[in-house]
Amino acid sequence: MNCEEFANLDVDLECPAEGPETNAAREHVRNCPACASLYESSRRLRAELRELRMATAEAGTPSRVELRLRQEFRTRHTTEKNRGRAIVAGWLLAAATIVLVAGSLFVWRHPKDGNVAKAHLAANAGAAAMAASGPELGGTLVAENDGDEFALIPGALPGLQDETSVVRVEMQRGALSALGLTVNEEHANDVVQVDLLVGPDGQPQAYRLPQQTAN
Amino acid sequence: MQIEDQERDEVLLKRSARGDEDAFTQLYRRHQAQIYRFALRMTGHAWAAEEIVQDVFMMLVREPKKFDPNRGTVGAFLYGVARNRVMKHLERQPREFPLEVRNEEGETKVVDIADQRTPAHLAEMRERREQVRSAVLALPPEFRETVVLCELEELSYEEAARILECPVGTVRSRLHRGRALLLAKLEMLREVPRRANAAL
Repeated sequence: MNCEEFANLDVDLECPAEGPETNAAREHVRNCPACASLYESSRRLRAELRELRMATAEAGTPSRVELRLRQEFRTRHTTEKNRGRAIVAGWLLAAATIVLVAGSLFVWRHPKDGNVAKAHLAANAGAAAMAASGPELGGTLVAENDGDEFALIPGALPGLQDETSVVRVEMQRGALSALGLTVNEEHANDVVQVDLLVGPDGQPQAYRLPQQTAN
Repeated sequence: MQIEDQERDEVLLKRSARGDEDAFTQLYRRHQAQIYRFALRMTGHAWAAEEIVQDVFMMLVREPKKFDPNRGTVGAFLYGVARNRVMKHLERQPREFPLEVRNEEGETKVVDIADQRTPAHLAEMRERREQVRSAVLALPPEFRETVVLCELEELSYEEAARILECPVGTVRSRLHRGRALLLAKLEMLREVPRRANAAL
């Protein structure tokens, strides 16, 4: 081993480990005073670095840093949670607004279609109420029936919507008493237009007074 | 054991990212001392080391997703972040080498290694230690960080290479060169008083 090889070698000669490289380095140090001096300096440096390491081995971050970090952690995650809740609430509000607007549009447009099916639904839904209150034809009837919805004839059972049909007839108001309706005697001779909802058996189930007649 | 520690760190980091403060605290307590010592030995300032530790863990609070488990351990990641902060600090204050170690109250902390020695011997030891510190802090940053990691933090060449993001051979050569520079610096520091004494 020459001086250059020794200088590039990274071995601890005090270590009891044996090996061809270590043995050659030991041999070189014994015979070369310059390398022996270099090795001695290096050994002292390692000892001094070890001492410095021990002197600062106990050093640690002051506890105030942990407190500051935990405070920041809490603030950050609380803010994030609140932001998440606000976003969810915002989306829910937007969705509710859309549903409300769509519902309003539907309700606003639907009566103008004059849809018979809706009339059927209204007749079925309002049947019980009408039977209980005992509808009266004439001024009172107009008040109860806005001219677009059918009212169930007393004693009739609501049938399936698909099997019914609407028939418009002109008759004297007094003839409506034959259907079991109460008629105002003063207007019994008036001729009125009446839409009848006729079931599959040909019997009228519900009636309505079209708008122009009612007015 | 080491693999268990790594997994534990990753689990703690995931829990911390979901808002678990206890997990964050555990993670902090596991790594703060190493990062603090590294920063202290690199900068020579207790206040700078404190600031660097705070920055490193603040980043973990704000951007936990910056850690990529495929690139290394949580410990190496924290060292890497600390290293960047240290380099920024050194760029700002390249010529300052104060050597104090202060405790939490801000008082200079002296660690006595062997109290049974004579006061003269202790004083000499302290002086030599200060010289070594001064010599370490005078090293160029790339040699300093290698000496700090391998000699003072006692990391293996492989661990140091992962943190420094360089090959193991580079760590070896930097350490070799760093030791030579340290020796030269110490010789210089010790020669000046000797010559001054000889002149008297």
